[in-house]
Amino acid sequence: MSDTLSIKRISASPSALIPLESLRSGGPVYSKLVDISKCIGCKGCEVACKEWNDLKVEQTSNFGSMQSHQDLSSNTWLLMRFNEVEDGDDLHWLIKKDACLHCEEPGCLFACPAPGAIVQYQNGIVDFNQENCIGCQYCVSGCPFDIPRFDKQTKTVAKCNMCIDRVEAGLEPACVKTCPTNAIEWGIKDDMLAQAEKKVETLRKRGYDHAAVYNPGGVGGTHMMYVVPHGDRLNDYSLPAHPVASPGPLRGLNVFQRIGSYLFGAGVISALAHFLAVGPESPEDHA
Amino acid sequence: MAKSFLRRFTYFERVVHWVVGVTFVLLLLTGLAFAYPSLFWLTTFLGGGSAARVLHPQIGAVFGVGLLLMFGLWVRDMFLDSQDRQWLGAIKHYAAHERDKVPPAGKYNAGQKLFFWVQSLLGIVFVASGLLLWFPEGFGPGLLNSMRLLHYLATLGGGLFLIVHVYLGTIAYPGTARGMIDGKVTPEWARLHHPRWTGERVER
Ligand code: SF4
Repeated sequence: MSDTLSIKRISASPSALIPLESLRSGGPVYSKLVDISKCIGCKGCEVACKEWNDLKVEQTSNFGSMQSHQDLSSNTWLLMRFNEVEDGDDLHWLIKKDACLHCEEPGCLFACPAPGAIVQYQNGIVDFNQENCIGCQYCVSGCPFDIPRFDKQTKTVAKCNMCIDRVEAGLEPACVKTCPTNAIEWGIKDDMLAQAEKKVETLRKRGYDHAAVYNPGGVGGTHMMYVVPHGDRLNDYSLPAHPVASPGPLRGLNVFQRIGSYLFGAGVISALAHFLAVGPESPEDHA
Repeated sequence: MAKSFLRRFTYFERVVHWVVGVTFVLLLLTGLAFAYPSLFWLTTFLGGGSAARVLHPQIGAVFGVGLLLMFGLWVRDMFLDSQDRQWLGAIKHYAAHERDKVPPAGKYNAGQKLFFWVQSLLGIVFVASGLLLWFPEGFGPGLLNSMRLLHYLATLGGGLFLIVHVYLGTIAYPGTARGMIDGKVTPEWARLHHPRWTGERVER
């Protein structure tokens, strides 16, 4: 059981660059699988998430949609987005289960400057440790899926933790447990991938020619995968087509920070070298 | 007989200089802590990670105001003239202490003038990018990540400048730092470093 909580990466530490997996192996790697075609929009998963994780209830309002909240928040880690798409006379709800995807290469963790504020486990879960969080919100702009949310009161950032306390105890996450149609499944990632392929095949037979698995390679795959009936319309699901873990500016930042550390050293050394070469120059020298 | 001095900086100028100097060092220490995980312990100087995250931008605001005052106080004297351009051509000799080959400088030499302009530019980059990072809500990730990069590049420039500035102002040229402490320099110092400058004479 302890294998499920072996650490893979810790933010702002060497393991953020070189994952620790080479040191340990063999533990189970999990994934959620969300089959959007089976979702009936009941939002039971949202309630289960709030209950299990003891998240504060927020006042909601009718904004002309079936959607419960307008957006995720530090107290709403899961939101079924009811994307409305018109197709001639038809109206489609392209529902998206909006929550952390638990990326294999987590942009949030790479962007984080606080040691130990974000931890990735061998089992695939990416978890925020609020006691180490300094509230800079770099993870928010590091995440390609716009998931982490800042809490103004606690000055820390929060998101779905995949019910890590349940997983640790050998249980499935609360949303999986509660879903009445099995639209959310939980298991070993490889099994879930095989399952997803089968679902895609079935959907294609039913006439969804563009049905696809969403497990984007730009973030090394995710530990919450989707089966999307309209794989050619990821945009309408508000799923980014090409998410990347480390976008250009942050890759540049890494390079310059490395160069910079040498330049700072070189600056000090040059000053000392100059001093030793020509020494101080005071008015008396020219008297 | 009392020794006479030249007044280099007024009280107000010195206060503004040290406000900028002290805030910049605090900003640099905490900024490096955010940039380099191995230096994260530097946040201790401001009371730990969360406190540093709160204080860094607030100190930055003071730094920005100080820099603005500094700009207003000194900008008049910072335009390069033709002798300054010659000075730049002879900068090798200046560094080698070959005084006879260096064209005479006024109150500020060309190096100091350029330092002033670059520092003012860096200040704008620091404050503009810092403001977005201070209140990131509502801005897109692309913009914020670019601001992080820009803020770091300014740090790199500012940090290197600080090293040069402190070195030249202290051990390299004795007598210089006093101009920023009690505001006075000796006539001999002025003749050596700023021959074209005729400062106000003050008695001890
Ligand atoms: S979806 Fe965002 S918050 Fe979740 S692991 Fe990926 S980068 Fe981090």
